Amino acid sequence: MERWSNAQHSDTPMLQYSNLKEFEMRIVHYLNQFFGGLGGEEKAGAPLEVREGAVGPGLLLEQLLGSNAKVVITLVCGDNYAVENQEAMIGSALEKIREAKPDLFVAGPCFQAGRYGMAAGALSSAVQKTLGLPAVTGMSEENPGVDLYRETLYIIDSGTNAAGMRDVLGKMSNLAAKLVSKAEIGLPAEEGYLTRGLIRDQFVEQTAAQRLVDMVLAKVKGEPFESEMVPTAFAPIPMPPALKDLSKAKVMLITDGGLVPKGNPDKIQGSAATRWGSYKIEGCDDLKAEDYEISHGGYDPQFVRQDPDRLVPLDAMRELEREGVIGKLHDEFISTSGLANPLSNTRRMGREMAERVKQLGIDAVILTST
Amino acid sequence: MVGSNRTVLGNGIVHVVGDANVTPEQEKEVRRKLVEKALEALRSEREPS
Repeated sequence: MERWSNAQHSDTPMLQYSNLKEFEMRIVHYLNQFFGGLGGEEKAGAPLEVREGAVGPGLLLEQLLGSNAKVVITLVCGDNYAVENQEAMIGSALEKIREAKPDLFVAGPCFQAGRYGMAAGALSSAVQKTLGLPAVTGMSEENPGVDLYRETLYIIDSGTNAAGMRDVLGKMSNLAAKLVSKAEIGLPAEEGYLTRGLIRDQFVEQTAAQRLVDMVLAKVKGEPFESEMVPTAFAPIPMPPALKDLSKAKVMLITDGGLVPKGNPDKIQGSAATRWGSYKIEGCDDLKAEDYEISHGGYDPQFVRQDPDRLVPLDAMRELEREGVIGKLHDEFISTSGLANPLSNTRRMGREMAERVKQLGIDAVILTST
Repeated sequence: MVGSNRTVLGNGIVHVVGDANVTPEQEKEVRRKLVEKALEALRSEREPS
């Protein structure tokens, strides 16, 4: 379901793009090293550079937007550089964009490219927020940038194949033209953008009861109908293979039960946490009550407070480590508080934790959840 | 439990891997059994849900 329109523009007068004859639409376009023509993965470390005019997909974008559209500058940045230096990249990109005085910011499309999507999403979202400019990007539904920015941005569903470039840019330019002229934006299926999960008010002819009965009747008859409530969708995650040899495995403990060292050094919130922490257990065989506290507003913490091993089973894991059942217990555990948290947030934290776990060469994780 | 087929049912929300109603020695045994179950899940192939 998407009952959302560009409500942020609702207090400004409606202007029709077609009425603005003298209007020149100035665009800043963001591309990665590949689409910007620098090169492939070997150029992924390339820092942000500014090109005059349109580059690569920007030429087609300009053409699709019509004769008064002009890509004034193109920002090109290597995917690794953009993700590893995100803050600096965005800071300097915003400066260039501000100087270019555009009416519109376009990033990508990024298709399935994860780092590209993350950078395009972060930058588009910063442009909207900081410069108040309309921004459009394009990604495939599985791009990690989608999870992070779908609520904030219009992300045209690009599919995974870059051969669909023309079609994707067509949808991006249609939507962009509407955003620039502050025209009403249709529902995701009409405009081709990924659902943002937002709800808007809308006048309808029939009451909820009438619509409901119609849907039930359609369902019984096997006719098509469109539900107004769409359950949260989870993309399928491939099942990791079994561990071949536990006795050689490096295992890590993670919890979402909010166990943190006394004083909560990372200030992990007890509800809707935006942070997680990693805490040393090196040389420790048993978690002591006096060293820890609970930051979690969703369960009675008195039992875990008495003995933190009731949440993070360190003593049992140490025994199994000593007996050689597992190879090694990693010398820190990860903790956050899993309560009343928006999916976009938990997905981000999950991804960050997974990256850390991979980096550390951990073979398996036991995650205890309250 | 969404999407995960390596889920072990813990011993209540307030002490997932513990038990406040038994002696400390018994509780350690409870914890060890639960952790062993988790390790067993990691060691066996599971179908995606």
